[in-house]
Amino acid sequence: MMTYIDYKDVVPKAVIGLVVLLILLVPIITTNESTLSILILSGIWAIAVMGFTLVLRTGQFSLGQAAFMAIGGYTSAILTAQMGWSFWPAFLLAGLVSGLAAFLVGMVVLRVGGIYFSIITLSLCEVIRIVAQQWESVTRGARGLITAQPNPIPLGFFEINFFSSTVPYFYLTVCLVAFTALVFWRIGESRLGRSFAGVALNPVLAEHQGMYLMKYRVIAFTVAGVFTGLAGSLYAHFLTVLTPTMLGLWQSIQILIMSIVGGIGSLVGGPIIGSILLYTFGSYLTRLDIYGIQQLLFGAVVVLVLLFLPKGTGLVDLWGRFWTKVIWREKEFEMDEAEE
Amino acid sequence: MSFLELNQVTKTFGKLAALEDIDLQVNKGEILGIVGPNGSGKTTLINIISGYFRPTKGEILFNGKKISGLRPDRIASRGIVRTFQSNVLFEGTTVIESMLISAYQQYKTNHWQSFFNTRAWKQENEEVVGRVIELIKLLDLLNDTFLPADGLSHGYQRLLGIAMAMITNPSVLLLDEPTTGMNHEEAMFVVDKIKMLREQGVTIILIEHNMKVLMGVVDRVVVLNFGTKIAEGKPEVVMNKQEVIEAYLGTELI
Repeated sequence: MMTYIDYKDVVPKAVIGLVVLLILLVPIITTNESTLSILILSGIWAIAVMGFTLVLRTGQFSLGQAAFMAIGGYTSAILTAQMGWSFWPAFLLAGLVSGLAAFLVGMVVLRVGGIYFSIITLSLCEVIRIVAQQWESVTRGARGLITAQPNPIPLGFFEINFFSSTVPYFYLTVCLVAFTALVFWRIGESRLGRSFAGVALNPVLAEHQGMYLMKYRVIAFTVAGVFTGLAGSLYAHFLTVLTPTMLGLWQSIQILIMSIVGGIGSLVGGPIIGSILLYTFGSYLTRLDIYGIQQLLFGAVVVLVLLFLPKGTGLVDLWGRFWTKVIWREKEFEMDEAEE
Repeated sequence: MSFLELNQVTKTFGKLAALEDIDLQVNKGEILGIVGPNGSGKTTLINIISGYFRPTKGEILFNGKKISGLRPDRIASRGIVRTFQSNVLFEGTTVIESMLISAYQQYKTNHWQSFFNTRAWKQENEEVVGRVIELIKLLDLLNDTFLPADGLSHGYQRLLGIAMAMITNPSVLLLDEPTTGMNHEEAMFVVDKIKMLREQGVTIILIEHNMKVLMGVVDRVVVLNFGTKIAEGKPEVVMNKQEVIEAYLGTELI
């Protein structure tokens, strides 16, 4: 059973505004490259996690979201490195190709759904990795592709230069996360997103009420595929290199873990919180240079979250609980007093 | 031409014939009862009309058009909606949420209008919430509107199932034993509600085990036994037929 959270009741607009303002000001507060790159990469993961959560909304458990990042990443990496395209068209095409791949895979696999869907997406992840490794003439195999950087954008008195600093990447990521969040938030609020709940909670009943299960599942999977592909493209270009092992099974599982820790009940807030916290934590652990420590501790985090925040509400619900138990109650109390 | 028509419908599972050569005409606006002992094929009949199973042989016509072989969601969107014999709900939702999830399928505004939160969508949303509340009142679920659906008592869950089917604006409602697990008074309460639904212009096919419940409400009754139709007609007449009594009570040995 999942608990869905309605943000309009829980998060006041002022808080959202403040958070957005803070994020926009980050490059002014700090120009520390490593801080910025952690934030950029958490943003990229946040997009993939939102995609995963959208698919989960229809009751399907995709273990291959990193495959779509890889498809997007390789599309734009091949177009820029091997065929001389510039970044922007390649970036957009990456989203489209990945969306198309998700659509085609979904049309076949979502007929079965459930555990079969999880297993097939999981193997898709491996298939993509092996293809990338073996198809040397196109992907350069294990040596990886060196991706091109976006051309500088001249803006009159100054130009946005992606070579000299990470700040343009930061804003690009923020824009993409914001756009994805907006789209997913609207999907969640609209008839489509609410029908997803029906399809997930009881497929048989939903079908007999007139919902075509495949339609909803494929829409969710395709939309997730488009945005995950865009995230993958950004990932490949920001890191300047893309090798087959960078987006594999562990990354798919990482997406799943981030989603659970953030809270699967929310389409936007949970994934963002989950990916920022876990990515930061993960990159700190990598510095310790102990083999496998990240996998081990991520596992521990999942266990803790499931123990203390069950029902899939995740960390995002902590604020909700705080709001309803402390702040909301106070308001009610004041109203009672006013009546007297 | 009748409203809903079954021609020579047969359904076999392996060598077992669950339904054999069933001919059935349903008229617009009537309540048709289907009775029969356990295993006589009543639920299979509903499963076939609603598209959950495909008939092995024969065809089903609705308003003169063939619907047998369509997917359940296509049949539901043409206006034939069923309820289930057990309590089948959207787990973890409240009463009003489950009703809204069902209602979304019948909206006139499309998904884009809903995505961009246009005025037409908001307006339709308000209208539908109004209809949901009306229906909730009609089926006496008003006190439970915001309660979790799986926390309702058995009887109210059955009523919620009917409400969820009704909110999709069906022209034919297939009720699969709406009074299972109820005592006589509760069953009569549900029957009253079914009579009220008929006044809204819905054709109802009612599967029932309990003869007493059926007698007071149906216009016509069809008796099934071992997958074949053994009698059809006015309830008082049918229930006195020799075959029907034998099917229910068995034959005398002496």
